[in-house]
Amino acid sequence: MSDMQAKLRETAKKLLESGEVGYIIGWGKGRTNKTSPVFVKEPAKVDELVWNEYCLNTLAKYTMDNMYPEKKIGLCVRGCDSRAVNRLIQDNQLKRENVYLIGLPCEGKKDPVTGEMVKKCIECMHHNPLEADVMVGEPVQEKGYPDRFKDVEAMEALSADERYEFWAKQYDKCIRCYACRNVCPACNCRECYVDQYRVGWQGKQNNRAENQVYGLTRAYHIGDRCIECGECERVCPVGLPLMKLNRKLLKDANELFGEYEAGMNTEVKPPLGTYKLDDHEEYM
Amino acid sequence: MKLAKNKLQQAFDLMAKEANLLVPMKIEGVTKFAPWGAEGELAMDAVNTLLPPKDALFPQTEKMYKYKTRLTQVESLEEIKETDKQIIFGIRSCDMHSIDCMDEVFLTRGYVDSFYSRKKENLTTVAIGCTKVLPTCFCDSMGLNPVAAPTADVQLNDLGDYYAVKAQTEKGEALVNLLKPLLEEGDGEAAALECTLKVNMDGVQKKLMNVKMFESDIWQETAQKCIGCGTCTYVCPTCYCFDIEGKECGNEGYKFRCWDSCMFSEYTRMAGGHNPRPSKKERVRNRFLHKLAYFEDRYGKGSLCVGCGRCVADCPVDLDITMFIDKVGALKEAGSND
Repeated sequence: MSDMQAKLRETAKKLLESGEVGYIIGWGKGRTNKTSPVFVKEPAKVDELVWNEYCLNTLAKYTMDNMYPEKKIGLCVRGCDSRAVNRLIQDNQLKRENVYLIGLPCEGKKDPVTGEMVKKCIECMHHNPLEADVMVGEPVQEKGYPDRFKDVEAMEALSADERYEFWAKQYDKCIRCYACRNVCPACNCRECYVDQYRVGWQGKQNNRAENQVYGLTRAYHIGDRCIECGECERVCPVGLPLMKLNRKLLKDANELFGEYEAGMNTEVKPPLGTYKLDDHEEYM
Repeated sequence: MKLAKNKLQQAFDLMAKEANLLVPMKIEGVTKFAPWGAEGELAMDAVNTLLPPKDALFPQTEKMYKYKTRLTQVESLEEIKETDKQIIFGIRSCDMHSIDCMDEVFLTRGYVDSFYSRKKENLTTVAIGCTKVLPTCFCDSMGLNPVAAPTADVQLNDLGDYYAVKAQTEKGEALVNLLKPLLEEGDGEAAALECTLKVNMDGVQKKLMNVKMFESDIWQETAQKCIGCGTCTYVCPTCYCFDIEGKECGNEGYKFRCWDSCMFSEYTRMAGGHNPRPSKKERVRNRFLHKLAYFEDRYGKGSLCVGCGRCVADCPVDLDITMFIDKVGALKEAGSND
């Protein structure tokens, strides 16, 4: 791990010194075990970059803060980040030529408080970056995630009333902080429907009905574009099992439109973002 | 006086007869102050509940007025008054002080918020001294004492098998009186406790109030990683911003207020579309200045950050206010970049 950190810093230094990139987005040290996104501009400051078992945050969405950069943005990418990059490119929120991808194979990350592997990493299907301009470290063994839809199947086995009760309890907890939306690389609308207050799509009261409207609308909106990075679930302060919802929609998409994973490349369009004459009608 | 721990549930039952009793509970994995008897487990050892008790006085959604109309005329208009008695049991020093701060905002400076004030009048607080701290706790750096909350109506201190019980106000005496059948003679001093996380606020407020700070590069650097969610503001015990909206159905409706967050773009957007805080830089700046500088400037009661550490623990990107305080403290002078 520390070898990779040294190599990452060395790579970063070269990229900054040569002027290939304007700045590098990676992970830096927090006060405790936690790491936190950092933006390194100067070659002398590359030691701020860390690579350890606690680098949890996905970073690709920060490129949206600078959509017309003077120089390329150096972006550290693991498997999940590289899928997020594909997501943003496909959604026209990022140009591939605006980023320089520093690939980091990743064996999964730990919770800085409990020291255990986090759920999103246990469920990860792509530990190696799908695309990179330079690789730091050797590729790691892909393990796949055969239980991808197991949670969804368990939910589907319940009656409608039982499912309602389950989700009602969950959404009674929601505090509507919108962390799930803001961290999500598929939530990249210029203006979220939630914030279109004059139209009034989304009421501001915190109650079961409004919270569920928010949760379901977001789930549907990212339904076929969710890259399964699991960040929404990780950042939710009240612990909503959001991947159950996201994977339900992905499972439906898989069943109706054939095997599909979002953000694997920039060519295959999300099934709901395109149409074919022989598409199933059930989903309409 | 003292209360044996094995009589705690009896004490709860007694208090719950008199008022809506809120105790620290873990419900569906979330620790918060919830009515005694709610489905979940009692969480007396949650040093800090995930959600602060502020919604007892300032609910996330609160109906204010209801009305009926007939054509263009108002047929009836009624203020919705909640007058239930409430007891918060087990509040910590940090959260107790957050109520002192909210009192300043809602009850002083020429305007009394009737919704808040009614709830405050009907509230009795039972504080409990901490026996351990979390790695994110820093209340003693903000001038508080983890084992003593001087403004609480009753102060409890955990002394092993029992709690030392001390009434600190008239309301507190009434409550202790109510519990009298369960109390025993006796007393005891709580062991002093110190937070492990330390920040130094010396000179920080003054530096931040300096006009040169407003355009400092520190804001861009600090805010760059912010994702603009409302987690920090909603887990914060002293964030009190709200929005007022209406819900109408046919010829009747109601007005409600609900928590709002200065981290949201829509929060400052004006009717014409202009937004004076267009990016996260301005929003983070506002939040930190409000916590660490403006509140002291307006009310002279110290910082609006009580050191509970919730935002430090829960921020998705670890935008840590304690590291920001350190950074400002280390500046040679206000407005300088190193």
